[in-house]
Amino acid sequence: MAESLPHDLILSVEAIHTYIGQFHILEGVSLQVRRGSITVLLGRNGAGKTTTLKSILGLTPPRLGRVVFDGVEIQGKHAYDIAAMGIGYVPEHRAIFRHLTVAENLRLAERKKGDLERKADFIFRLFPDLKRLYKLGGAQLSGGQQQMLAIARALVADNKLLLIDEPSEGLAPVIIEQMMEAIRELSTTTTVLLVEQNFLMASRLGQDYYIIDDGKTVHQGRMEDLLRNEALIHQYLGASIRQGGGVA
Amino acid sequence: MKQTTWWREYQPLIISLGLVVGLSLLAWRGLGTQAFIRTTLSGLTLSALFFMVAAGLTLVFGLMDVLNFAQGSMFMIGAYLGWQFYTNPTFLFGLAPLVLALIAGLMGMALLYPLVHSWKLSPDRQKLLRAALLLLALLLALLGLWQYDVRGLAKTAMVSSMVASNPLAEASPQEPLARFWVRPLLVFLAGWCIALAQARPGDETLVVQRSETRRSAFLLAGLVLLTIVSTLVRESGPIAVLLLNGNLRFFLALLTSLLVGLALGSVIERLLISPLYTRPLYQILITMGLAYVIGELVQLLWDPLPYAMDRPPLFAQPGKAETVLEWLRQGSATLNIFGVTFPTYRLFIIFLGITMFVALSLVMKYSRLGMIIRAGVQDRDMVEALGINVRRVFTLVFAMGTALAALGGIGAAPFMPVEPVMGDRFLMQGFITVVIGGMGSTTGAALGALLLGLARAFGDYLALKYGLTPSISEASTVIIMVIVLLARPSGLLGKKE
Repeated sequence: MAESLPHDLILSVEAIHTYIGQFHILEGVSLQVRRGSITVLLGRNGAGKTTTLKSILGLTPPRLGRVVFDGVEIQGKHAYDIAAMGIGYVPEHRAIFRHLTVAENLRLAERKKGDLERKADFIFRLFPDLKRLYKLGGAQLSGGQQQMLAIARALVADNKLLLIDEPSEGLAPVIIEQMMEAIRELSTTTTVLLVEQNFLMASRLGQDYYIIDDGKTVHQGRMEDLLRNEALIHQYLGASIRQGGGVA
Repeated sequence: MKQTTWWREYQPLIISLGLVVGLSLLAWRGLGTQAFIRTTLSGLTLSALFFMVAAGLTLVFGLMDVLNFAQGSMFMIGAYLGWQFYTNPTFLFGLAPLVLALIAGLMGMALLYPLVHSWKLSPDRQKLLRAALLLLALLLALLGLWQYDVRGLAKTAMVSSMVASNPLAEASPQEPLARFWVRPLLVFLAGWCIALAQARPGDETLVVQRSETRRSAFLLAGLVLLTIVSTLVRESGPIAVLLLNGNLRFFLALLTSLLVGLALGSVIERLLISPLYTRPLYQILITMGLAYVIGELVQLLWDPLPYAMDRPPLFAQPGKAETVLEWLRQGSATLNIFGVTFPTYRLFIIFLGITMFVALSLVMKYSRLGMIIRAGVQDRDMVEALGINVRRVFTLVFAMGTALAALGGIGAAPFMPVEPVMGDRFLMQGFITVVIGGMGSTTGAALGALLLGLARAFGDYLALKYGLTPSISEASTVIIMVIVLLARPSGLLGKKE
């Protein structure tokens, strides 16, 4: 991996171990995210990608290891304190609040009064559809619209880092294309840590990559190096390449 | 597509309301207008009471997954304290300085934190210090209450309600100030010790924000002031209250119960519930245990006797009013409603229930707190991930729930005997209401309460008319629950996942 000075890092995860109930899910995941980059977390289903995001955020707090965000150790803090430091979370399965309207979903994400008004232009430029759907209930949105809302929700407050979990899951190719555009655009203003099964999308967005397998970081580097290493792709990501339409 | 989802969301509401209206029409044809109106109004009275207990249960379970078995006790406590305030507030005025002093002391936590968190102490020493502080607090509190005649204070309302003469004669057997003044001071110091222990001297992991410190300082100053004032008005306060107009006094009694419910709820959540979020089963056990403790305390203070609270003057004059205006002018005990003579106080209970439902619905729909609750019922983790302090919301919601139950208790007090077991029935009915209505939905709780109340009233009426056993009406609630659960396992408007 390219040399990065410590102050270039917005997030540094150091050998975290996370348990869910009796199960030892993460057995030493380490990763570093450079400020302003898109870093992709790759790996098979059940490798521990989602748990890694949740451990960073404190939803499944790690038992061992360190998480440093923006120069501050955050492991062991309450999830709401961690999030309030400037981390936005876009969970898998488009977990928006379905009993709230689009407007309420966005309003809820405000940390200061007026956040939404300040960010509205940016959000609606990224996702023009949301303006039209503003008054509708969350349950009435299509899958793609829900995903847009889930990302938009993470943009309302001033977040320095976005954790985005499988934004392309279950979406039509046209919508995936749109989603990629949006993520590329928003990454000009914040840093993104992205979990993505769709290798095509991951490879086109990501600058750095980490491969997680069986709860451990097994590989890391620059995305362009990974694209040249077909053996590695096959070894860890075999299934997901075919799903994603192959590597160029 | 828009219409179909709308239909899907409101289908159970519409169907059950339709059923209620249809059955009511049938009952109307069958029973005749008079019996129908009387039974419906009786049913609505019950519905209102069920709702007041169930509203808190449904919110607390929906958001926090806590089954609050002490909700019936909160109803009972609300009734007792409101009754005390209305009949003879000597007891409340005697205890107020001590309670306020304790809370004022506890507020010191955020103030002490910046001073003590950087103390250099080994973990063992920290633990030892905390234990010693808590022990000291206990000692100070005991010393503060030493030979304080709490039971004597509690008995004042009993005496005056028994002789039913001028309550002022019995108003104020308070300790003289010269002996009393050390008590709030000792209790304040006890609270201060607990606060110091809670500030965890030497523990660097605890984080208290600066804004919190400032707010605590203001609260502390205000509470100390209140403590001093309440210490001085222990004797004049009760007399002033008793000289007030009865209706105003009753209104203040409602307010007292509401506030005590809020305070008690926040203390219970902070002290007993919040340390146990990782052990849900223990939370159920602790609320059950709490119900027993509160029941025994109440019996200790007021003896296991039923008391009858007087109705406020607006509902007390014998005689029947022909119109609502006439009732409001004369304060009649009964009102003529389409030829049916109905007690006005029960109308007030219905009014109280509806007011509560409307207020709660408005809060749920339009306030940020309501938005957080609705979102949290569906996905608590995601609410946290937005940076919202859910722990604080939990405390608030729990306190809201107990406050509603306490308000229901004082609302019910002039209508039923005030006794230690008065909340038990409502707790059971409240749980069934919540199961029928669906966890986490205020409208669901209202709908469930409506169904149960009406079923009880009509069941009673029919059982009486056809010489059936009255158990039929009691069974009706369970039958309704079974039918609803077979059709919709998550309740009529359940949103919990």
